[in-house]
Amino acid sequence: MTTADVLMLALGAVAVGAAAAVVTTRQIVRAGLWLVVALGSLAGLYLVLSAELVAWVQVLIYVGAVVVLLLFAVMLTRAPIGVSEDLDRSRWPGLLIGGGAGLGLAALLIDAYQWSTVDLADGAGAEEVGAAIFRSWVLPFEVLSVLLLAALVGAIVISRPDVSARVGR
Amino acid sequence: MNGFTIATPAQVLAIDVRLPDLDYAAMAPMLVLFGAACLGVLVDAFAPRQSRHTIQFALSFIALTVALLAVIREARVGSRELTADVALAIDGPTLFLQGTLAVLGIVALLLVGERALEKGGPFVSQAAIPVGSEADRRQAREEGATEVFPLTLFALSGMMLFVAANDLLTMFVALEVFSLPLYLLCALARRRRLVSQEAALKYFLLGAFASAFFIFGMALLYGFAGTVSFGGIHDAALLATTSPLLLFTGLAMVAVGLLFKIAAVPFHVWTPDVYQGAPTSVTAFMAACTKVAAFGGLLRVLYVAFDRARWDIEPVIGTIAILTMLVGAILAVTQTDIKRLLAYSSIANAGYLLVGALAFSKEGLSSAMFYLAAYGFTVIAAFAVITLVRDDDGEATHLSRWAGLGREAPLVAGVFTFLMLAFAGIPLTSGFTSKFAVFGAALGVGEAWPVALVIVGVVTSMILAFPYLRVVVMMWLSEPAEQSPTVAIPGAFTSAALMVGVLATLLLGVFPSPVLDLADRAAEFIR
Amino acid sequence: MHASAYEVLASAASGTLSSFWLLIVIPAASGGILLLLGRRADRWGHLLGCASVGVAFVLGLVYFFQLGGLPATDRRATLDLFTFIQVAALKVDFGLLFDPLSAVFVLLITGVGFLIHVYAVGYMADDPKRRTFFAYFNIFVAAMLLLVLGNNYVMLYIGWEGVGLASYLLISFWYTRPSAATAGKKAFIMNRVGDAGLAIAIFVMFANLHTVSYDGVFANVDRFTSGTTLALGLLLLIGACGKSGQFPLQAWLPDAMEGPTPVSALIHAATMVTAGVYLIARSNPIFDANPTAQAVVAAVGAVTLLIGCIIGCAKDDIKRVLAWSTVSQIGYMFLGVGLGGGAYALAIIHLLAHGFFKAGLFLGAGSVMHAMNDQVDIRRFGGLWKYMKITWITFGVGWLAIIGIPPLSGFFSKEPIIAEAFDRPGWAGWVLGFAALLGAGLTAFYMTRLFVLTFHGPERWTDDIKHPHESPPVMTVPLMLLAIGSAAAGALMATPVQDWLNPTVFGVEGGEVPEHVHLSHTVVTILSIAITVLGGLLGWWLFRNGTSLQEQPAGPVVTAARKNLYGDTVNETVFEKPGTYLTRALVYFDNKGIDGLVNGLAAAVGGGSGRLRRAQTGFVRSYALSMLGGALLVAVAFLVVRLG
Repeated sequence: MTTADVLMLALGAVAVGAAAAVVTTRQIVRAGLWLVVALGSLAGLYLVLSAELVAWVQVLIYVGAVVVLLLFAVMLTRAPIGVSEDLDRSRWPGLLIGGGAGLGLAALLIDAYQWSTVDLADGAGAEEVGAAIFRSWVLPFEVLSVLLLAALVGAIVISRPDVSARVGR
Repeated sequence: MNGFTIATPAQVLAIDVRLPDLDYAAMAPMLVLFGAACLGVLVDAFAPRQSRHTIQFALSFIALTVALLAVIREARVGSRELTADVALAIDGPTLFLQGTLAVLGIVALLLVGERALEKGGPFVSQAAIPVGSEADRRQAREEGATEVFPLTLFALSGMMLFVAANDLLTMFVALEVFSLPLYLLCALARRRRLVSQEAALKYFLLGAFASAFFIFGMALLYGFAGTVSFGGIHDAALLATTSPLLLFTGLAMVAVGLLFKIAAVPFHVWTPDVYQGAPTSVTAFMAACTKVAAFGGLLRVLYVAFDRARWDIEPVIGTIAILTMLVGAILAVTQTDIKRLLAYSSIANAGYLLVGALAFSKEGLSSAMFYLAAYGFTVIAAFAVITLVRDDDGEATHLSRWAGLGREAPLVAGVFTFLMLAFAGIPLTSGFTSKFAVFGAALGVGEAWPVALVIVGVVTSMILAFPYLRVVVMMWLSEPAEQSPTVAIPGAFTSAALMVGVLATLLLGVFPSPVLDLADRAAEFIR
Repeated sequence: MHASAYEVLASAASGTLSSFWLLIVIPAASGGILLLLGRRADRWGHLLGCASVGVAFVLGLVYFFQLGGLPATDRRATLDLFTFIQVAALKVDFGLLFDPLSAVFVLLITGVGFLIHVYAVGYMADDPKRRTFFAYFNIFVAAMLLLVLGNNYVMLYIGWEGVGLASYLLISFWYTRPSAATAGKKAFIMNRVGDAGLAIAIFVMFANLHTVSYDGVFANVDRFTSGTTLALGLLLLIGACGKSGQFPLQAWLPDAMEGPTPVSALIHAATMVTAGVYLIARSNPIFDANPTAQAVVAAVGAVTLLIGCIIGCAKDDIKRVLAWSTVSQIGYMFLGVGLGGGAYALAIIHLLAHGFFKAGLFLGAGSVMHAMNDQVDIRRFGGLWKYMKITWITFGVGWLAIIGIPPLSGFFSKEPIIAEAFDRPGWAGWVLGFAALLGAGLTAFYMTRLFVLTFHGPERWTDDIKHPHESPPVMTVPLMLLAIGSAAAGALMATPVQDWLNPTVFGVEGGEVPEHVHLSHTVVTILSIAITVLGGLLGWWLFRNGTSLQEQPAGPVVTAARKNLYGDTVNETVFEKPGTYLTRALVYFDNKGIDGLVNGLAAAVGGGSGRLRRAQTGFVRSYALSMLGGALLVAVAFLVVRLG
């Protein structure tokens, strides 16, 4: 067992444990914070797989942006900070479906890959990712900017109190 | 197109970044719409408030017409090619469906742009103002938001990309591009704003959930095939070195994402709520165009990437089709709201379309495409009628309010009767020819599953005729209620949309051959 | 008999015959004009309506003689107008066929249709919606003509749906009673069951042969397996039962005929219900190929004719009795087409004769109601013969014709069917024969009851009627014409129609004399006349002095008959209730999804209503959970299919 293997296993365990904590804790803020741990350890896994760019993107976007947004949303909507009973609904169907899905997928992947090994020689470094984006995936990549524009317009339409209208009146 | 080379300033690293070949002519319909949508955003920012609506409408109309012409041009050239590396497939189905989308988009745009029925149009001016507040009462008289036009164009361009996408990644991006504007459009109703916002939120959350399935399936398929292009998956299915379980689980997840969009049972739960809550013109747009796009994508996924797995697909998707037809038909019987009724009818229609799709034959493909076009016209016209029946609270959608409408407005009631008969599949309407085409195509295969599907299809369409006819009877035979809603005089736009819808429904019912022919000639995917 | 010896004749229409599409277009155009012009056409709309059907009738006669002029073997003309649907292998032409069978139906539909149109001008004179009525009426005739003139099953289906739609409109629009909703609904649902049968049959043909044209299907009947012909036969039978009100789909027909005006009742009695008989007669090669399917048709006919008779005996509403008698007479026709061979033509003859006498009876009933302030209860009639002589005589002719007294038409059309039934080998011959014989006796009984109670005996009128009077000529003239037809048609038609139909349509040679298996023809004739006279005398004896004004309590048989032999109750318990429960369950599951089920279960276990209240409809998380569950099921299903 190499160091990488040990790291993989350890980070994996942390990710799973933190994820379980996210859905079991009764405090919404703690759930958000556990999410940071889970996503962070995922970033660690990427690092171990020598995909630095993906790892940093993961940290930047998920830990940096998404979770912060989530916490902001909690604060802005004045959601209860302490223990909230609403977060704890009948558990067993969730456990059944969620656990079933998780175990099933795990079994699936184990069955698919078993003991096969994958070379990490050409990982997902910045160069390769960049080249791929601007070579094969240039179209979807450009379209994504359109998506962002649409989302921006939408965000404005949904949330703006129209300044010009007020002035106009 | 020539590739070009860039080098980092320090000249340390020089990667050869070659842009793939891009056939701009083939991408023109999408590019025109993207461009027009961006222009529309600028119009909203800079044009004076009074003239925005006119400019926006004209811009969108022109853009869609140009897109349609571009599609026609491309179809005349007869191009069949993969472009943008293999991200886009420009082939018969793509062009047919893009053309359908452009035409249906124009008709739906007429409804979206209609302002004669209500002062300021059917959309709210500022969605953020709390419902029922003083400001909300003030804005009741203000002009509606004109951002709906660029949003509609964004959605349509996404749909056009979706039916052309030849790999899962492009498809996913296109899916998001056309879904996001729809979520937003749903929230913008001028009347019954809370219902509208709730519908939008539900649609958004569930849509995101479905997208997650799609992307998860994509990951599994990548694990299986080492590529996300449909041709690659098709090849890998034959020479699989990895476990086929990955393929099937991936297929299942991707299918869930697509089945959500076409509103197949059990992924249909959002449909009635959203159809009911969204502004009716947006509902019309969704019912017609989303169905075309989502089915276009589903057909391509099934026919191009997974045709080798058809024996495994048939029982599973076949069961879903049966459930979809049954649930849609039976629950339509119990509805008391006309928009919800049409929502369940659209669910059942998704089932009939699946029957055609599962034929896995050229005929199945062509008949499903014909069905999409025919259904789109009818459903837009039906929702156009719904926008006309109004009372003080806006549209009167509860069925009891439609009682005796035939006496108030025989023409409108007559048109709606005709549309209901078309939905019921009465001969000499497009509803009959399109059902006949899909069922015929399914039986042409001559195997057990398609036959079973057709039998369920026939039986459920008989059940489904009942709620439609009930509406007809309600309109003509029942006594009008105390305060019956008035039928607004349709503006020019709504009249035009209605006319196109009704004429198409009639013509495709009596002389379907030209369009059937067109669909038949177009019905070949390239890989 | 001919098993799959169907010959496809080259027969493109030529000469005058090439314009026989006008038969459909003229009434359809007239109907369209009446609807489109709206109130502007109110003054002359009914005239146009009549004229269009009249012209169609004349044209029909011209084509008929044209066809008759051809040598017997190529008496058929086809027209392919344009390709209607083409999806790869499936090609459906908008094609028409005019052959002896179509010709007979064309004359029946346009002829009887024209008379009813004329009668309706008088009957509907005061109705503000008369123009609309004529518009629907014309469309109905056009659809019916399309049904019998199509040269493939899809054309037939289009006409079939058109007829259904027009009749639905006619039933609903002129329904004069509060039970409108239920009757319309019942008619609609039962017709849909039939339509589904027909539609599936068409698809089965297509799946097996890739064609739906009569020629293509019949020429290839021998390529079907016997299972397929049985399935096809039964599916077509379901379609026919739905349209013609046969067991087990008989319940809607009397309701549809009892409620509205006699006029719309009549178009059902005389024309629409014949569609089922036409369907089976037209599909004769399929039924010939499968004796089991034929036997089922015959059995359905026998059961229905008895049901109709038994219920007819117990009803007091004049139109209801006539309605059930229609059901019963169509039972005879089904029995005929079910016997196959030479009996096809017999069924058609009975159909034509029935068209005459049932039209006369319905219009006579209308005339009586006209005189009695729309009273329909025969317990409140009596002694009318003094006041309305023409109606009395014409109704009398119709009465004698339907019960089959020689030499009136019913004798020539019904008695051969009874004889033919006895000719069926084995016990089936005895059963079918006796059922038909018993039916004849019962028919004589209840029709005599109807006639005697209406026109003879003491006057039992309601107080508001002082001087009943005869109807105006516009109503009595059609009555007289129909009476002449009822009297003479049977004797005149029996042989020519057989010669006309048998060689070309049913492939039966003229000289074929069926072998008598159980009883000789003479014995059957004597028996049937005897039982008819017996039934008639019994009816007269029991009711010669009138009857009580109210329905009296009676034994179980009569009660059952009064309640339509519990047909509605059966439908309700077998179909309606489970359907309701299924729908309710679906609604519940659809609103609440898995979450609802879980919470509902939890609430049931915990007994707390608080939890249940939380499971309102439409929570996003419930939707999401059912989606997740669905996704899991889909994935598992794929794996199961793959591994299993």
